[in-house]
Amino acid sequence: MRRGMWDREMVAALLLMASMPMVLTWLWFGGVEAIGRLALTLIISGLWHMVFMLARAQPPSLAGALSAIAVAMLAPEDLGLIRLALGVSFGTVAAELVFGGWGRNVLNPATVTIAFLGFGFPAEPWPEFVAPVIWAALPALGIGAMFGILSMRVIFAAFVALGIAYFGGDPAISVILPTAVLVLALLVTDPVAGASTSLGRWLYGAAYGGFVILFAYEWEGAAPVQMAVSAAFLASLFAPLFDEAALALWVRRRRKRHG
Amino acid sequence: MPRVGSSLTPEAPALHITDEAAITPAHGEELRVEALVSDGESVAQGQPLLRLRAMPDMYLTAPMAGRVAKIELRPGHRLSQMVLFHEAGGDRYAYDVSLAGADADELRRVLQMSGLWRQFRSRPFGRVPKPGAIPAAIFVIATDSRPDAPDPAPQLTHREAEFSRGLDALARLSEARIFLCQAEASSYTGALPAGVSRVITGKVHPNGLSGLMIHRHMPARVEAPVWDIHAEDVADIGSFLETGYVPATRVVSISGSGDALREAKLVQCQPGADLRGLSQPLLRPGPHVVVSGSFLDGRPAHWLSLRDRQVTVLTRDTATNNRHWFNEALDHVSRRAPIIPTAALDLAFGGVLPAAALVRVLASGDVEGFTRLGGLSLLEEDLALADYATGARPRLMTQVRAILDRIEEEEGVA
Repeated sequence: MRRGMWDREMVAALLLMASMPMVLTWLWFGGVEAIGRLALTLIISGLWHMVFMLARAQPPSLAGALSAIAVAMLAPEDLGLIRLALGVSFGTVAAELVFGGWGRNVLNPATVTIAFLGFGFPAEPWPEFVAPVIWAALPALGIGAMFGILSMRVIFAAFVALGIAYFGGDPAISVILPTAVLVLALLVTDPVAGASTSLGRWLYGAAYGGFVILFAYEWEGAAPVQMAVSAAFLASLFAPLFDEAALALWVRRRRKRHG
Repeated sequence: MPRVGSSLTPEAPALHITDEAAITPAHGEELRVEALVSDGESVAQGQPLLRLRAMPDMYLTAPMAGRVAKIELRPGHRLSQMVLFHEAGGDRYAYDVSLAGADADELRRVLQMSGLWRQFRSRPFGRVPKPGAIPAAIFVIATDSRPDAPDPAPQLTHREAEFSRGLDALARLSEARIFLCQAEASSYTGALPAGVSRVITGKVHPNGLSGLMIHRHMPARVEAPVWDIHAEDVADIGSFLETGYVPATRVVSISGSGDALREAKLVQCQPGADLRGLSQPLLRPGPHVVVSGSFLDGRPAHWLSLRDRQVTVLTRDTATNNRHWFNEALDHVSRRAPIIPTAALDLAFGGVLPAAALVRVLASGDVEGFTRLGGLSLLEEDLALADYATGARPRLMTQVRAILDRIEEEEGVA
């Protein structure tokens, strides 16, 4: 008879709210240049949402703003207007809108955009973050987990994997760790593109941490953001597999118990 | 939503027999009936009034002593409703239950004749079991975690002898395992007959839902149906087998939103009671809807439905729609927004079902996946909380009913 509040737009609004500590700190330290980048990505992504609303009757979602923020923060610098616009258009359309909008997509549009730009223009420098922005990722994760919109399991698993490597005492990890936490908050914990079963979520978070560690050791000459985004991209490709495995295991366990 | 729900006092609910009551089919149930009485005839409480044409052993009985007002049938003798007027000082119909103590077939026969059989619900599909059906397990539900639902525990403590006689009868009915589901170990401490196991569910909704307990302890399959029945109905069976009279009342809670109802109340009324009559003394002025069931899974109704023990009064939404024409048009033509898997969705299934996967197989109508995930143990009420929490459109309750109906048709058990 009555309706509760956890519909798609409410979740998107809460995700946006949760990311605010990070975003505002980043804007504060980034100044006019950061505001300009964010405005650009917001406008382009908004335009594509508008196009799909008029052409395909897909209601636009606040989640578009979320992807725009992640792209503005993590995409390579000095791309110029045209190339950034191209990348955002590709990511928004090919990774989100053609599937029917946010909630039906398979991969996170921001991850796809950044990976696309990173592989397409490998010569461009990757952004680096000042310490307060990294620290602001922690309250962002905390707020999201408190509202239940980010999965606690993914966060824990990723932290455990990264923590083990960090306290193992390798200097390669301590360079990448801050950026890995930021990317965890911005891209990896996305409830749609990530795994959705409990075991799947543990595996997904651990896989992200594992890929970050692997890249830290084996990928010579890559920037921390590049490694972390690639790890997020690979982990989200594996997410459906983790879910499928977790479900198969669950079904088998139940079959054994109940015949 | 501000709710009236705090003053539900369990001890000694006031008796409130409404002037009218009706026999109606449960939601989605099709009853082809033959009337045994005609309009205007006087009937005794518990007297068989309707017989099912397909199963001549199954009867529907009078909820109270009174006079038959009208029998409404749709084409093909399908029951729409049979309304009765209450008459004070009427008789009670006595059944001969002397043989039911020894013989299982005789026990089935008297339960079906007295209409008490209709309190059983068989899963998968949620129908009243066929006369000869044999369950794999029977779940006796001595808890109700839905918001403002009456707590069965005080009633059971009060009716311990009848309840344990009822449990004995269930044990004699078939070889099935019997589970007694209660919220806490202390909710019901009476002795249990051999072969009955206790299941502790916890108090928080949705943990008290029978679907989740069946899913956890004995999943229903098409070839191994699982029945559930409310504990007070089991006590009713016990009392019936003792006296030969069908119990005349059940405990029902009346609750609702604070702007529709002055106070919440627990009453004893007849089955099929007139909901307007029940809620009338408690209403605030203004437009409202009366719902049989809780505000999560109830349906607007005129009469108390078959297994419901709860009446909810909500204010009717009369706000005129001032939305922009463009949003209105977009809503009409667009696909509905999908459900985002959050902790809210997981908790709405009590954390025991893979919620996101289940929602996905429901949306795609994937029968095989639905069966694999244990969907056959579920009914509409088990998805009501997820429906409420996520505001899903189309409603998950509708989707699960559609997929169950399809499986039922394919299996040819309809």
